[in-house]
Amino acid sequence: MLWGFQLEFRQSLRTKKLWVILGIMVLLYIPVFYIIKSIGGSEITVEGAMAFLIQFVTGMAGFFIGILALLMGATAINSEIEKGTLRVAMSKPLKRVGYIGGKFLAHSVVLFLALLLSTVVGTLGVVWLGAPLTAVLVRDVLLLNMLLLLAMVQLVALGYIISTLVKSSSSALGLALVLAFVLFLIMPNVVGYLTFKASMNNPNMGHDEYIELQKEYTTKYLFYVPTSQVGVITGDVSNTDGDLANVTYNGMPYAIKKNPANLGILIGLTLVYLGIGFYRFLRMDLR
Amino acid sequence: MLKVENLVKVYKDVRALDGLNLDVKQGQVYGFLGPNGAGKSTTILSLLGLIFPQEGSISLFGEEVFRDGKYDEGKLVKAKARIGYMPEHATLWDFLTPVQTLDIIADAFKIPKAEKEKRIGELLDLVGLKEVRNRKVGKFSKGMRQRLLLAQALINDPELLILDEPMTGLDPKGIAEFKDIIREQKKAGKTVFFSSHILAHVEEVCDTVGVIVKGKLRLEDSIENIKREFLRKAGYTIIIETNRPVDFSGVEWSVTPLGENKYRVLAEGDVREEIHDFVANQGAKILTMQVKEPSLEEIFLKMVK
Ligand SMILES: Nc1ncnc2c1ncn2[C@@H]1O[C@H](COP(=O)(O)OP(=O)(O)OP(=O)(O)O)[C@@H](O)[C@H]1O
Ligand SMILES: [Mg+2]
Repeated sequence: MLWGFQLEFRQSLRTKKLWVILGIMVLLYIPVFYIIKSIGGSEITVEGAMAFLIQFVTGMAGFFIGILALLMGATAINSEIEKGTLRVAMSKPLKRVGYIGGKFLAHSVVLFLALLLSTVVGTLGVVWLGAPLTAVLVRDVLLLNMLLLLAMVQLVALGYIISTLVKSSSSALGLALVLAFVLFLIMPNVVGYLTFKASMNNPNMGHDEYIELQKEYTTKYLFYVPTSQVGVITGDVSNTDGDLANVTYNGMPYAIKKNPANLGILIGLTLVYLGIGFYRFLRMDLR
Repeated sequence: MLKVENLVKVYKDVRALDGLNLDVKQGQVYGFLGPNGAGKSTTILSLLGLIFPQEGSISLFGEEVFRDGKYDEGKLVKAKARIGYMPEHATLWDFLTPVQTLDIIADAFKIPKAEKEKRIGELLDLVGLKEVRNRKVGKFSKGMRQRLLLAQALINDPELLILDEPMTGLDPKGIAEFKDIIREQKKAGKTVFFSSHILAHVEEVCDTVGVIVKGKLRLEDSIENIKREFLRKAGYTIIIETNRPVDFSGVEWSVTPLGENKYRVLAEGDVREEIHDFVANQGAKILTMQVKEPSLEEIFLKMVK
């Protein structure tokens, strides 16, 4: 297991995908913080800054690192079969499960490091905006990282399934991109529209009720979009009506406790995907 | 040492192995010959547990590692520790140098550090990659990659070497060096099993040759006998030049004159002596005699029929 880990870790850190995607993401952070500062950063409360940070990182890292995770997984096995490196590796005295386990661990660590980069840059941003670096902030940022990691791991595992099903790594890459587009853009918008339509049935629905309806729909109809599930949880980190100067901050532990179903979906589906991906790898022809 | 019984492998619609039997003894250098698509790579991949055949059994070092669609992974891993394998059309990790590649491969065998370093140096010397040992494999030529693939197969000083078309991509010097390495292995008492579709590659080094056609072992014998058998099947073509005209009427061979005092003789078997006597009886002398061997492809084609 350690052997597969070492090899994959070194390999992953050298892929262009990783650095290109992380580079774009971090570059996008800079203008966002500048804009906030220029449109009245002085009025932002500490709670507002923290609430913003969590929403912002969930959205940005979830999208960019989510694509990265899916692409990483989708080419993990087939590209190695194409190159032949997998046949060299598996001709050595290693068990298949140890090899794929090591690979998975390496992917998880790389994704965790990517998330850490994202949150560190984000945290530096809010500190620059004037929020103090408190213990609560650090705790919540770390908890957010763990949640997002769970989502990313699920996407890698989904990628593994693609990688064992689609022989050509370039087709798999294409399929993964289409899937990312569907998961992160199309489906959330479709469900958003459905929520809106459902709310029309009840003309005197208040803001809070609408948020509840949105959560319900996301949980039900977007259970396979891990970043949306994280979004439901982080949605409860703070209560806001959109004004960063008027925010009550509840914290991550509260948000997680309030949404056990979404956490359960995240964990459960991850295990299912991993099970399918590993099972297929253990029984597949490596040619 | 290596025993395969009734192995069947079906890829979606292709029956690549159709009840293959193999028995390779300790210390043998076994040439596994067959035309493209015969099932050589399929056999080799099965030996290493890299693909899943549907039926039959495989034993390595006297332990049954595969039976009826299932590998015994514990036994397989133990066997793999004693095997060196060189795949066909493979590359190694582009971002590593030969030294790093061999280092990580050695780690899979848990070779202790001091021994590992010594072995890496020796092997890079052996395959002639010493000068480029710190260059990234991504920048290697095909022949250089092939040499590194051989080196990685030897890292654990394997008792059994399994090589899939090891000589493709090598220049004549590389082929000669490769054959030397195989001879060294034989001298050290190792067993070598390697595939090829070129007769010249298995000549000189193999003591036994097996011929696989359409997923079945058609022939297994010493290289001399195989060649004789090949020639018998494909027929002999002998071209002679004599010092004066010879009258070939009444012989059972088919003879075509090719020019002045030059003839082509087609016969079922090796009739060189008979030709010699026939010509001498007419008081003529043979100046040159050439035996044209049929190409392996021609022979394979006949065997399939
Ligand atoms: N993944 C696959 N899917 C379907 N058919 C396959 C697959 N791999 C190999 N085959 C078929 O199995 C047969 C045996 O292939 P194999 O690669 O074992 O031949 P080979 O003897 O090694 O040939 P070569 O000299 O070209 O390397 C061929 O008919 C080939 O087309
Ligand atoms: Mg082959």
